[in-house]
Amino acid sequence: MTIKIKSKVRCSDREVGEVSRVIIDPIAKSVSHIVVQTDGTERVVPIDGQAVLAEGLVQFGFPSSQMGQYPPLERGNYQQVKEVEIAGLERHLEVFPGEALVPVPTLERDLTRRAFFTNFTNAIGVVLALPLVYPVLRYLTFPMFPGYNNNWIRIGNINQVTDIDKPKQVKFEKTVKEGYLERKFQKSNWVVRMSDDVRKEIFHAKPIEYKDENGKVYWVDPPDNPVVVYSGKCPHLGCAYKWKENHKRFGKVFWCPCHLSIYDVGGKVLDGPAPRRLDVLPMRISGTGDIEIIDAEFKAGKDHMVRII
Amino acid sequence: MSLFQNIYNWIDERIDLKTLQAKMLNEPMPGGSSYAYAFGSALLFIFIMQATTGIFLMFYYAPTADHAWQSTQYILKELDFGWLILSIHFWGSSAMVVMVVCHMLQVFVWGAFKKPREMVWIAGIFLFLIVMGFGFTGYLLPWDQRAFWATTVGVEIMDKAPIVGDFMARFLRGGPSAGAQTLSRFFVIHVMILPAALVIMFSLHLFFFRKAGPAGPFKAVKPVLEAKMEYFFPRQVYKDIVVMAGVFLAIATLAVVSPVELLDQASPEPTDYNPEPEWYFLFLFQLLRLKMFSGQLGEFLGAIALPGLFVLLLLSLPFINRNPERHPLKRPFAMSAVALLMVAIGVLTWMAIASRSQ
Repeated sequence: MTIKIKSKVRCSDREVGEVSRVIIDPIAKSVSHIVVQTDGTERVVPIDGQAVLAEGLVQFGFPSSQMGQYPPLERGNYQQVKEVEIAGLERHLEVFPGEALVPVPTLERDLTRRAFFTNFTNAIGVVLALPLVYPVLRYLTFPMFPGYNNNWIRIGNINQVTDIDKPKQVKFEKTVKEGYLERKFQKSNWVVRMSDDVRKEIFHAKPIEYKDENGKVYWVDPPDNPVVVYSGKCPHLGCAYKWKENHKRFGKVFWCPCHLSIYDVGGKVLDGPAPRRLDVLPMRISGTGDIEIIDAEFKAGKDHMVRII
Repeated sequence: MSLFQNIYNWIDERIDLKTLQAKMLNEPMPGGSSYAYAFGSALLFIFIMQATTGIFLMFYYAPTADHAWQSTQYILKELDFGWLILSIHFWGSSAMVVMVVCHMLQVFVWGAFKKPREMVWIAGIFLFLIVMGFGFTGYLLPWDQRAFWATTVGVEIMDKAPIVGDFMARFLRGGPSAGAQTLSRFFVIHVMILPAALVIMFSLHLFFFRKAGPAGPFKAVKPVLEAKMEYFFPRQVYKDIVVMAGVFLAIATLAVVSPVELLDQASPEPTDYNPEPEWYFLFLFQLLRLKMFSGQLGEFLGAIALPGLFVLLLLSLPFINRNPERHPLKRPFAMSAVALLMVAIGVLTWMAIASRSQ
């Protein structure tokens, strides 16, 4: 049963007045008191077990003589509901001052016409957006798959790498065109003059074949190369690894400072999270002993080599 | 009547300003105001500070690979108080992460994510992810070695997601590896996309919160809640301001004592720099060093599956943990789980720091 403003208020003996306001408990979110307009005074009376609610009527069990013991309303101690923010109050409130109605405009009464306009609004929205999807996708993804650069880059001379099984970091300058920017930066790879053991470990007496995206072989590193070139990028997550002469546990190793992957001089994973051995790059030696490479890069984190650059 | 009063009345007559103001400020808080509830406001404060200092930085910063480092250097070394603005922005980002975690922990311990506040919590998790995204994208912008390598490794991690990983990583980088396009993309994400996302998500968060109402203390009976009830304004607003002032002092002190240091310009050749992410990502960094997360599968588990499942767990928390009990002492499992998580993050972070000198 709901409480209506202006409902009659009756005590056990007689009618004492009418409901002029209701007071809401902000925690329980329900009516806790009604304000009864009686004999020219507004009194605050709790609504609890003793009140019986009927249509347009609040019936109390106590006699009208007791009405005087309830305090008069101190308006300053209360605020209107619209002046406070009590979450979910409207949904819980069971007070109706009667319905306030607004006529639905005549044109809005035809439901099929409304549905027609709603559907066409959606349809036009889709039609507007659709033709843009493809151009926008192409626009944003344009630089993502640039294709491979198979140019040979000179990184040093074979005479610089004399010590067997002692890796040498060779730095070289690379020019890259990124969109409208042409940038030159330093890169480095590692070159090792291989001992027979290391050669066996890397080549297994077979040449290494490099395939393009269609599976066509574009270069072969023969097993009788005097040196091997490792990509400077750690196959774990793409950091740059270093050569350590005195690792506590493994001695002379390649060591990545990021996630502590450790490789031996033949590129084999000795410890750490790396999923594959160091990447060997396509390499050739010119007549004058220059070491030239295709500076390919391979996807980190895979257990096999997937070329990305 | 004063001029101010006149203007106020003029506006009130048109938009019912008084009611609006009353609705915003007169929000009854069961059990009254508390410093424990100030984290959300502190976050809003830091965001406004970050937005302001960020706009100031954009007066001079150039988001291209050939000028980003130089313009940052100019802000830091030549401009009057450029170092201060940049350092406040830098330390503000750390403060934001710290406050997000504090805010989440408080809500978790108070059990305030439970029904009917599920949607507040979920919007909050998205805000948490947006804040992490801010940290990650902003880190690249100075274009020094630290920036370049953290991004190189960070995006590689994304690449490990199944099916969409390669596309997502290439999309973020604008190519197969980090470079000039990556800087442009991170810049637009950092200064346009994420701020817009944050404002939208924050509005939803606040809207959901106002619809559900404040949870109040986790213990206490109705007469106490009623007797101690206060409006949001002025006591809670006062406590919020006190905390904001504390946060500002901390950030400003850090900015003065330990201003931003710019390393060498970004290069695929790290020389003697050992890559490392910002401190709040160190635990993830250390996690990926663990033997159990080695190899292709291990890497997927550590870099994608585990963090992904954790975010899913956070999102579904109010639906998994349906017990209406809010008192932390009566939720021993939930409390030990979160304590264990914080200890694990602490230990991993400490391990990462301890192994720096190795």
